[in-house]
Amino acid sequence: MRRVMQTLMVLAVLGAVAGGAVVGFGLFNVSARVGHLPGVSWVLHTTFRNSVRLRASRRDDMPDLADPSLIELGARHYDAACRTCHGAPGETPSATIAAMVPAPPMIATAVADWQPHELHWIVSNGVKMSGMPHWPATRDDDVWPVVAFLVSVQDGMPGDDYAALTDLPAPRAPGDYCLGCHGQGGSDHVPPLEQQSAAYLEMSLRAYLDGTRSSGIMAHAVSEVPAETLGGLAQWFADRPAEGGVLPDMPAERIAEGRALAQAATGDRDVPACQACHGPDASETSELFPDLGRLPAPYLRTQLTLWRDGKRGGGPRADLMRKAAQHLSDSDIEALAAFYATLPPQDGK
Amino acid sequence: MTANTTDTGRRGGADRGRTGLLLLTSVILAGCEGQQSALAPSGEDARVLGNLFWVMLGGAVILWLLVNGLFFYVTRINRAALSRRFANGLIVGGGVIFPTIVLGGLLTYGLSIMPDQRAPGDGLTLRVTGEQWWWRVEYWPEGAETPIVAANEIRLPAGERSEIRLDSARVIHSFWIPSLGGKMDMFPGRETRMSLKPEVAGRWRGQCAEFCGASHALMAFEVVAMPPDDFNAWLQAQAAPATSPTTDAARRGARIFAREGCGACHAVRGTGARGAVGPDLTHVGSRLSLGAGTLTTTLADFERWIAHTGAIKPEVEMPGYGHLGAAELADLAQYLKGLE
Repeated sequence: MRRVMQTLMVLAVLGAVAGGAVVGFGLFNVSARVGHLPGVSWVLHTTFRNSVRLRASRRDDMPDLADPSLIELGARHYDAACRTCHGAPGETPSATIAAMVPAPPMIATAVADWQPHELHWIVSNGVKMSGMPHWPATRDDDVWPVVAFLVSVQDGMPGDDYAALTDLPAPRAPGDYCLGCHGQGGSDHVPPLEQQSAAYLEMSLRAYLDGTRSSGIMAHAVSEVPAETLGGLAQWFADRPAEGGVLPDMPAERIAEGRALAQAATGDRDVPACQACHGPDASETSELFPDLGRLPAPYLRTQLTLWRDGKRGGGPRADLMRKAAQHLSDSDIEALAAFYATLPPQDGK
Repeated sequence: MTANTTDTGRRGGADRGRTGLLLLTSVILAGCEGQQSALAPSGEDARVLGNLFWVMLGGAVILWLLVNGLFFYVTRINRAALSRRFANGLIVGGGVIFPTIVLGGLLTYGLSIMPDQRAPGDGLTLRVTGEQWWWRVEYWPEGAETPIVAANEIRLPAGERSEIRLDSARVIHSFWIPSLGGKMDMFPGRETRMSLKPEVAGRWRGQCAEFCGASHALMAFEVVAMPPDDFNAWLQAQAAPATSPTTDAARRGARIFAREGCGACHAVRGTGARGAVGPDLTHVGSRLSLGAGTLTTTLADFERWIAHTGAIKPEVEMPGYGHLGAAELADLAQYLKGLE
């Protein structure tokens, strides 16, 4: 027994010395050109696949992945953040990307045989030691647009459709990149910006930049813009004339319910009057409070839910809204979204 | 030398102990006096309860003396065996008949005062709602269609019995003004009632008497009983809309109040502020306390409260406005203090 222990001790010491030498003297060859020993790639890749399958669980917050505005938002984010490595549908990898170890699979291969919740897990968590980054925000419900896009790639989205979906206006002004998503009155999940004050827009951009307002999509977008130009960008948007989106079709009783709630006319003693900060008919409110008129209902719904659940931040006044929204019910949120989505924007920025 | 030091040390310890005991006694005794004591009654109900306490205490002391006297008698004074007849008599008489009579008498007396504790009021009705952690107060004078809304302060006409209806928004609270009467629990969704009759004009303090969350201990209120004429004049003033700000600072403060959206939660009658989530501030400048008996209504306390709500009152619903500048806070305080 004693001899066995001694042998094990000696082996352990030798092993530690050998390991130390590999690290300390750089004995391991990190050359991507040399690549892995036979079998290592298979072990790593199989581990990756099984690890995702073990950890990704079905989520109850999965939206309708066939929603075209969700797919477009996901495609635009993909185009800005992911395309460099995974290419557009139909694209072949650049020579440089193909020389990565492991080489990132082109999008059609990458998304093959994953379930939506598994795609969500991969995009949200990233993959260690593969070059795949995690979602750059604490919040991960905004990964769904990307998943919606990836699912439509699984369904065979052609390269032409992708090009049309991610088309950007020709670069003429500082905000053209932003207009890809925020232009033409925004979309269901992206707000138009023209009705907001420059002060509010700049505060929001800085909140995205320092992470106090969480969004993987906006965190990427804002990091593409030099920080010192954010003020000018905000002003550029505030100076633009509002495009006036389409009036959404909302049930009249929902709107009336939202109006009563927003104006504190329901006798509800848990929900502050939204109107006092966001209008309508609120004169002289802080320019740091956003104008909610005609913002898309799905966007309003998401933001109110984030506020209610304590997942939404913003500027120094974020705590006001967090407390204001903390007692909202799902049906309150529905009603308020219907009311503000159909309310014309105010004039005073 | 060593012994001396130890001795002094021991004596010092004893002195400290005695001083501590004195201090403790005086602190406990001080609790019997003052603004918030059931032992210093100023209301009819509190007086009845006070009498009940003294009678019960007297009864308890007499019984204690009798029982211990008996022990003393049989163990020290007369150690001889008692006769069987006497012992049986003592057990039946002292163990069954005597306690039945005494406890029955005290119970009858105790129960007899209960109906008066629920006497109906004779004019004014107050509705008090327990919130976390403050008091929503409505005054309903006889025949009123709409209430006069105030908060965190109870004013009553002296010499009259006012009806008080109680309920709660979210959790169970308990309404207690020890100097004026007993306490009554406040339940969400169920109305309870009580009535109070302050015997003299004066000022006392009430307190939530049921643990209701993080700031339960900071859920208090000032109570003022006024001569009926003064009370009516006060109530009329409370019914009036807010006065317009008169100084430049107060006018700036009013603009900040609107700009920051304070009206989403607070009503200032006569302005656009119509919120019903927090206390009505129409006459907040003339109140006796801020934050439900937590701070005074000086300008400095207004500023402190607005900027640091959560630090002063843990988990309070009102967000802190620490993002406002010192000058803005000062203006806001001027405006609110001016709402008299």
